[in-house]
Amino acid sequence: MDLPQPSHIPHVTGDALTTGVAIEGLSKSFGSLRVLKDVSFTVKPGEIFVLMGPSGSGKSVLLRHIIGLEAPTEGRVLVDGHDPMVEDTRGHVRMALVFQDGALFNSLSVYDNLALYPREHRLGSEAEIRERVMHALQILSVEKAASKLPSDLSGGMKKRVSIARALVIQPQLLLYDEPTSELDPVMAATIDEIIATLKDEIRVTSIVVSHDRDLALSIADRVGFLMDGRLIHIGPPSGLKAPEDPRIADFLNPKIDIRNPRFKSLEA
Amino acid sequence: MKQLRSILEGIGSAIFLMLRSASFVGTIPSQFARVIEQCYLIGYTTLPIVAILCFFVGSVLALQAGYSMQDFQAQQFIGSLVGLSMARELGPMMVSILLAGRVGSAVTAELASMKVYQEVDALVTMNISPERILVLPRLVAVLVMMPVLTIIANLVGWYGGAVVCRYTGFIAIGPESYFAAVRHVVKFKDVFDGMVKAEVFGFAVVLVCCNIGLNTRGGPREIGASVTRAVVASLILILVLDYFVTKVLI
Amino acid sequence: MNNPQQTARVGLFFLLGMALVWVTYESLSGGRLFKKEGYTIVAGFENLEDLKVADDVKMAGVSIGSVEKTRLSKGRAEAILRINPSVKIPSDATATIGMAGLIGTNYIGIDLGSPGAAPLADGAEIRTKVTPDINKIMTQLGDLGQKLEGALGSFSTAVNGSGQAGGGLFQKLDRLITENSAKIDATMSNLQEITTKLNQGEGTLGRLINDPKLHDDLVATVGELKTAAGQAKTFIADAQGIVSQVKSGQGTLGVLLYDEQAASNLKGTVKNLKDLSDKVARGEGSLGRLINDDSLFLSAQTTLKKADRALDGMNDSGPITAVGIVANSLF
Repeated sequence: MDLPQPSHIPHVTGDALTTGVAIEGLSKSFGSLRVLKDVSFTVKPGEIFVLMGPSGSGKSVLLRHIIGLEAPTEGRVLVDGHDPMVEDTRGHVRMALVFQDGALFNSLSVYDNLALYPREHRLGSEAEIRERVMHALQILSVEKAASKLPSDLSGGMKKRVSIARALVIQPQLLLYDEPTSELDPVMAATIDEIIATLKDEIRVTSIVVSHDRDLALSIADRVGFLMDGRLIHIGPPSGLKAPEDPRIADFLNPKIDIRNPRFKSLEA
Repeated sequence: MKQLRSILEGIGSAIFLMLRSASFVGTIPSQFARVIEQCYLIGYTTLPIVAILCFFVGSVLALQAGYSMQDFQAQQFIGSLVGLSMARELGPMMVSILLAGRVGSAVTAELASMKVYQEVDALVTMNISPERILVLPRLVAVLVMMPVLTIIANLVGWYGGAVVCRYTGFIAIGPESYFAAVRHVVKFKDVFDGMVKAEVFGFAVVLVCCNIGLNTRGGPREIGASVTRAVVASLILILVLDYFVTKVLI
Repeated sequence: MNNPQQTARVGLFFLLGMALVWVTYESLSGGRLFKKEGYTIVAGFENLEDLKVADDVKMAGVSIGSVEKTRLSKGRAEAILRINPSVKIPSDATATIGMAGLIGTNYIGIDLGSPGAAPLADGAEIRTKVTPDINKIMTQLGDLGQKLEGALGSFSTAVNGSGQAGGGLFQKLDRLITENSAKIDATMSNLQEITTKLNQGEGTLGRLINDPKLHDDLVATVGELKTAAGQAKTFIADAQGIVSQVKSGQGTLGVLLYDEQAASNLKGTVKNLKDLSDKVARGEGSLGRLINDDSLFLSAQTTLKKADRALDGMNDSGPITAVGIVANSLF
């Protein structure tokens, strides 16, 4: 298998965040449903913060708050001192979100997907844009897919193209929503490596939402654990090896007991 | 009560959408390619169905009028009737209804799926306004294309009436006297009023369809529901607007 | 995102549309719409009838502009007419309100005026002529019918001579007819032949009276009808003159009445005449329609001229002078 080798990523920006991301007393309700309950933490510039937790615990919603797609019900989010909901913020701070399903523009080819951002913001001539786009594709080893439509891509390819699209933005803050889900272990490891390399080489601050324990252990600088909308743990990844909190332990090393009442219905 | 609230919400959000789109008017030249693409979809690909439908609308109008008028020997006025009805009412109305059914539904489906599959969110995170690249080109394109579609609809409708008048036994009005009757009664102002109507309807339909598409929430199932809602809302809107626009133009 | 072919198609499509709009515009409005080309003149009328904004203004039948506005001003109705700039209207031209078509499309008709007169300036007022009111004409025609019948009635009374006053007339006639019986016989047969022909619808006059088809040709202007009404008054005077002449035994007719056979012939003639007037009153035949049918303002003028000419010819042949007078003065 021709594995992608993220060997060299040029130092494209170098202007890392100065104060990082601060989340202060964030709560979010959708109607009567409280998704986030008084969440507070900070992400330091240039670190990889991995946010773990079971499905439906509010991880993705938290990410959407950081990039300004959702407005908090209470509390606030500051990205390098700016409110991400304000239109200007994305002018000051370059942010990118790698969506769980890629969120590639289905009507555009892979190349056009990547070229949309520099074109719309008039970042150089078409030749310069081409260089930039092809470079991002090369980093993720998907340059052969440039002329394909997203619907012709496999899940792993989509994910890589999606990361490439985020790279074209040359982000200072890069958010990943489940970057390794639905990927085979080899590809997942590659993605992990890419995330780590990006952080090392261009000092991009990264927040990764995942429930992949291996990812957290291998690349995270710090790990937060979100459950039922509350941040129940925050600390170095080493803490995950022998978690004190039984809820975390149960999540990381689930013991499936067939006699558990949860499976009673299956027996019947 | 809930229904009324959702109607008011729809109107309000459509107005905001229009204003946000209008704030990007200056970007139209740089989006020329997108406008052309939408012109192609809205205008060029809608033309055949517009032509077919309006041909038969004109024919049926002439046939029905001829049947009723033969009692009074007033067949020479069929041209006037068809001419005026097509230009002032049926031309713009039929084009708009087709626009709602053919373009409006497609627009809603596309934007709703972009919304559901987070493509719209992706645009926002890229600091690219969805109103600017998704809504504005469509609004501009519909404004450019509606007069073209309407004039074609009118002419085809008139021609349909002429064909029926020529070949229907109990009418038997030649094209010359038919078109003389059209010209006798239809002033260019009538055609122009019809185009104004078409512009209003077309703009409203595309705006409402974009709005409903962009406000879609939930999963893929919601796409279908949004399309249905958009088409129904468009049709109602066309008929309601028709009353007021007609009143203003008279 | 989009290829050149697509762009070309949209461009072509748009240009086609604009071309169609232009063609429609040109053919429907003759190149005037928003630009207020030309100049305005004011036409004041007592009554604008059904005249509406955007109705045509025609000079000698050629469309030269349209009604821009109608308003009340200075105790009268005014129509503001927008006239094409290339058309000069002489200051002595006269405007009237005309009616085109059966559904009441009105227009303003302007006559040519005299070429030498200075043209009307922007905002000037054009002379107008009161449009004859159709109802008035109809009333006049009704009066005419009644008078006609009255005249013919007294005519027949005089001829029948049943009253005391008739005795003298017939004695005089008797003598005259005895002396000229041969001539009278010939005259009478001629006269009868003519009236029969008239009744059967032969000859121009007969056709005019009996043939309903002829009414298609009758393009009567209102003015001619008025003239006819005026002339009819003359006829009544003439007819009364004849009656008095007959009463006093003067002229051929008075003489004629001595012979009994001649008298009965004459009765036939008079009866025919009565039939004619009845028909007229009932609205049969062209003349009847002329009087009773609203829609008949067609080319009566030409027909009437023809009838006039025919009657002129008749005047020359002695025996039918009486009929000639009747018919001639009727029209």
